[in-house]
Amino acid sequence: MGKVAAFVIAKCVRFLTRLRGGGSAFPGLVLLRMRPQVLAETLGMLPRGTVFVSGSNGKSTTTTMITQLLRAHGLRVFSNPAGGNLPQGLASAVVAQARISGSVRADVAVLEVDEAYAGMIADALTPDWVVLTNLQVDQLNRFGEPENVYRMLRDLAARATTGVVVNAADPNLATLGAEVVAAGVAVHFIDLSPEAIASAAHGVVAAPLLAESPDALAGEPVATLVATAGHSATIRHAGETLEANLPAPGLHYAVDATLALGALGVLLEGAVDTASVQKAMTEGAPVYGRGETISYRGAEIALTMMKNLPSLQANLDAMTQAPPLVWVAVDEGTPDPSWLYDVDLGVLDHVDVLTGTKAWQWALFLDYRGIPYGQVVEDTADALRLVAGMSQERGVEVSAIVNYEQMMLIRRLAGYKELEGQR
Amino acid sequence: MTQWFTIARILPQRLGLNGSAASAEILAVTLRQMGHEVSLVDVHGPGDAPNTVDIVTIGSGSTSQLAPAATDLISLVRVFQHWKQTGAHWVAMGMGWDLLGESLVTADGTTVPGAGVFPSRADYRSGRFSGEVWGHDDQGRESAGYINHASRSELLADATPLMTVEEPSEGWSAEEGLRGERLFATHLGGPALALNPHWAEDIARDVLASRGVSAEPGEFHARVTDAAARARALIIKRLSSRR
Repeated sequence: MGKVAAFVIAKCVRFLTRLRGGGSAFPGLVLLRMRPQVLAETLGMLPRGTVFVSGSNGKSTTTTMITQLLRAHGLRVFSNPAGGNLPQGLASAVVAQARISGSVRADVAVLEVDEAYAGMIADALTPDWVVLTNLQVDQLNRFGEPENVYRMLRDLAARATTGVVVNAADPNLATLGAEVVAAGVAVHFIDLSPEAIASAAHGVVAAPLLAESPDALAGEPVATLVATAGHSATIRHAGETLEANLPAPGLHYAVDATLALGALGVLLEGAVDTASVQKAMTEGAPVYGRGETISYRGAEIALTMMKNLPSLQANLDAMTQAPPLVWVAVDEGTPDPSWLYDVDLGVLDHVDVLTGTKAWQWALFLDYRGIPYGQVVEDTADALRLVAGMSQERGVEVSAIVNYEQMMLIRRLAGYKELEGQR
Repeated sequence: MTQWFTIARILPQRLGLNGSAASAEILAVTLRQMGHEVSLVDVHGPGDAPNTVDIVTIGSGSTSQLAPAATDLISLVRVFQHWKQTGAHWVAMGMGWDLLGESLVTADGTTVPGAGVFPSRADYRSGRFSGEVWGHDDQGRESAGYINHASRSELLADATPLMTVEEPSEGWSAEEGLRGERLFATHLGGPALALNPHWAEDIARDVLASRGVSAEPGEFHARVTDAAARARALIIKRLSSRR
């Protein structure tokens, strides 16, 4: 089918999907069916090329931060929405942002890419740059074991035509970087000071597969996280020290900011304007559902993502005092919650309400940990009304620990109709 | 009367993937809630190993840990023999079970000798199974959990399967786990004993019986039994709806 006709149809599908409040990936799926080569013929033509951001955690936040930093330097950036990191999600973003002719008004594409689909996406669109956040224990039900993810990320990095930027504080990525350097790919890296790592009780929470003897990367880091506390990160970059404002407290967000700044430096070949960086990093908006606070019936609900063990651990490490009103909502988006038993709950001293199809597994876990819990309310809408009432009664914010699927559902139930990437 | 117990957790850093080191924690809580004292000891080599232990637990790991864990366990074989002779109870999950069996065959066909604690052989050439399962255990009790494992086990001697899986996936055996005298092993994931507290109580009862003491479950045990039944009911509902 012709390009213009395909885009007309895909945009109509998008319009109808949005009217019905449906899934954001469907228009992309339709476009890919009609024009399988659409990613290469749109994003592959951008003058400053494409940047793939991948890794176990922090993809959405890092992608958003790189995008904000590049825009602060006057570049027009195409990016996919947080979570829209499968081929159909990317294509949906193209449908949303391209002209009816199919051309994309952008200088560069910064794309969040799912590890498992990275190879497939790279087949359709060759990355100029690959930015890797970390390799942590994640979705073992899907990936089997972290070794498989290592291979996926390594194969993606080896396909970068210009270079790779890795978080070398994760020993798995330091080894990966050394491996792709040996294959002839230019590798840049960021690092963390020992003080920064020590700011989180469990450090960088890397997968334990290659942690014992990481291969060192030669050269100087393109950015170094000096320290982090609360919403602030101190980052050394190109001889200057910058203060970044984080979307939420936590070492993981500080690492994302450092990686974004390091990537910016290599993408702009050093032409970084410190004032623009400072402005972008103090004005950055939270990423959809990550460290975000939503309102419902007068209650403030702070959403904390528990995508996997490292993300939950990092968010718990960032808590400095026990939250007064805690709601845990987990469903089939977390098919195997066995990893819960590896979590250090830190300051969390109780849970008020447990929700979702995995609520009873959470209840069991809390029983064995000796942490008291209140009610188990399997239905999310019922639980949302309950916690909102409790919040009003007690005059405190709700701390909601949620998996991705429950986060989406809670946002929708609370009247936040926009899907990811529709802001 | 309060009894004192020691639980040894073997190589918890290498073999503790995905909550699989939690068996020790769950057994400790089960015994403590019956009024007993329990100490947990992590064992990385012979230097950490107590002279006598009541329960030995070992978890699972990823394939890159198979060779280093097997190497680490060589130094512990004598310790294991001593613990076996002195009546320890053994609880093994996934790869830890495979390494404590008679032998295992790796994905590339290499045969690796096991520690010889469990009468079983493992074969890693079978591919991976990942998913929820449910069935009935050797005492007819409803049991369930999540398996994410890349080997199959063959039971030897007089060992019996721990449970029979209802409608197993194509190509996979309906027999899961191993039960023997003072032996318990499964491929179910980390919190298998939490999701099936009847197993944790079985082990606690056996350990107490070896001291001539009877188990006295209380309010805590009733609560986790109820919560686990509700959690398993949702697993069974999910699996039934997929048929």
